[in-house]
Amino acid sequence: MKYEVKISLMVYKIAYAVFFAVMLSLVRGVTYSYEIGIALEAPMAILAVSFCADTYTQEITSKRSEIQRLWSMKKRIYSIYRRLVIQEIFLLFVAVIGYGLFLIFQNPRAFDIGQNGSENEIYQFLVYFVSIAITLGFWGLLSNFLSCLFRNMWWGIGGCLILWLITNSSVGDRYLGVWNLFSYTFRNVEKGNDFRWICGKIVCICIGMTVVAILPKIIEKRG
Amino acid sequence: MGITIDDLTVTFKNKVTVINHANLEIPKGIFGLLGENGAGKTTLMRVLTTVLSLTSGSVTLDGILYSEGNYEKIQRKIGYLPQEIDLYPSLTVQECLEYMGDLSGISKPIYKERIGYYLEKTSLSQHRSKKIKQLSGGMKRRVGLVQALLNEPEFLIVDEPTTGLDPEERIRIRNLLVDFSENRTVLFSTHVVEDLVATCNQLAVMKKGEFVYSGKMKELLEQAKGHVWICKAEDEIMARELEKNYHVSSKQYVGDELQIKLISEMPPGIECSSCEVTLEDAYIYITNKEL
Repeated sequence: MKYEVKISLMVYKIAYAVFFAVMLSLVRGVTYSYEIGIALEAPMAILAVSFCADTYTQEITSKRSEIQRLWSMKKRIYSIYRRLVIQEIFLLFVAVIGYGLFLIFQNPRAFDIGQNGSENEIYQFLVYFVSIAITLGFWGLLSNFLSCLFRNMWWGIGGCLILWLITNSSVGDRYLGVWNLFSYTFRNVEKGNDFRWICGKIVCICIGMTVVAILPKIIEKRG
Repeated sequence: MGITIDDLTVTFKNKVTVINHANLEIPKGIFGLLGENGAGKTTLMRVLTTVLSLTSGSVTLDGILYSEGNYEKIQRKIGYLPQEIDLYPSLTVQECLEYMGDLSGISKPIYKERIGYYLEKTSLSQHRSKKIKQLSGGMKRRVGLVQALLNEPEFLIVDEPTTGLDPEERIRIRNLLVDFSENRTVLFSTHVVEDLVATCNQLAVMKKGEFVYSGKMKELLEQAKGHVWICKAEDEIMARELEKNYHVSSKQYVGDELQIKLISEMPPGIECSSCEVTLEDAYIYITNKEL
């Protein structure tokens, strides 16, 4: 596991991810604390896409995949999954730090709109945490999957970017509604107890699980 | 036993045929593979390591046919050092080899022992704590070779293993490969003819996807015997004329005279004498004969 940490979390990757979170928390303005999650979700998805796109394709570009062909599929796949888990945990950490930085730099106002006081700060953070964990997981897995499918990380990044542009838009919100991948961002914040946006996250989980299940076949076929 | 290649053809998706109806027997021991750039050597090795699928013909390894169902069995018997490989830059030599040893399915105590042994053999022991990115090209090549040897494969394929090594290191690596080839098959592809002279008894020469020669090195030299000539060029004009008409394998000033070694089926029409054949001469002779 420690070797995968070193392989997956190269210094330059850590640097650009942290820089991204710091810059975002400085540049993107928020007035109320519930806006922090909205400000972070879509940009963090982009970060996950670029961060995870080379999880396996680095093996192709370096020609190490030609040696890996000789190893058992099980070992190879577990290694890729371990790298993904390490990267996702790191990204989640960055997302949490980003949330904290927003609170520090922008000092947003708490906006208690819940009828029974449910919209307090900790509750808001926990909802954000669950949502961002699913978002990061989904976009990271999808980006790695597309990269493996086309044996090129730019295809992974490009494919995800197109999907990101569609779903993170008013068109996506209008047509997909609560099933949108960014349903958390587009949720009605004034209805704190309306959890229908979870549907979008369930879609993320379902696609993510499918991608995890198909990935071994792709690696086996495409090498 | 060893490898048998029967009427092998490899055609890429863009319809380019890289290996064209090739036949070859690779027996136990070190077997050299020589050929110009683009001759199909790397493609052949990629087929043998199951990276590429063959288009037609057949290949067997110790009697096991190369087919998708048998790939796993074949892969377990192979060690491979590709021509270009970037190992994990952020890991140290020791970590990189341990990681690759673990993924290749060798148990920890065994790969630890082998890493120590092969690092010693390749003079890398004192560099084991250095990160891969801190190594020179030759050192990286040696680490690549160690990873190929880790599972002590029955069939080792090495694509230009001595590239970037200094003369002393090249000798060391060659000797290591010779030691390793006892009761095993080592396919040694290189552009460095001296490496083959020092290690192989048998070799194959590839040109444009075909084997123009396969067999004993001695017999290859024998074939070129009587076709290598040493001439003295009186001036530059004559030297240029000879280069235009013959395959010149070397040019050297001896005193004031320019001595030219050339390859020709028939004696050139100037004063010259037949001379001893080197593998380089034989290679030029065989690859320039009409196919």
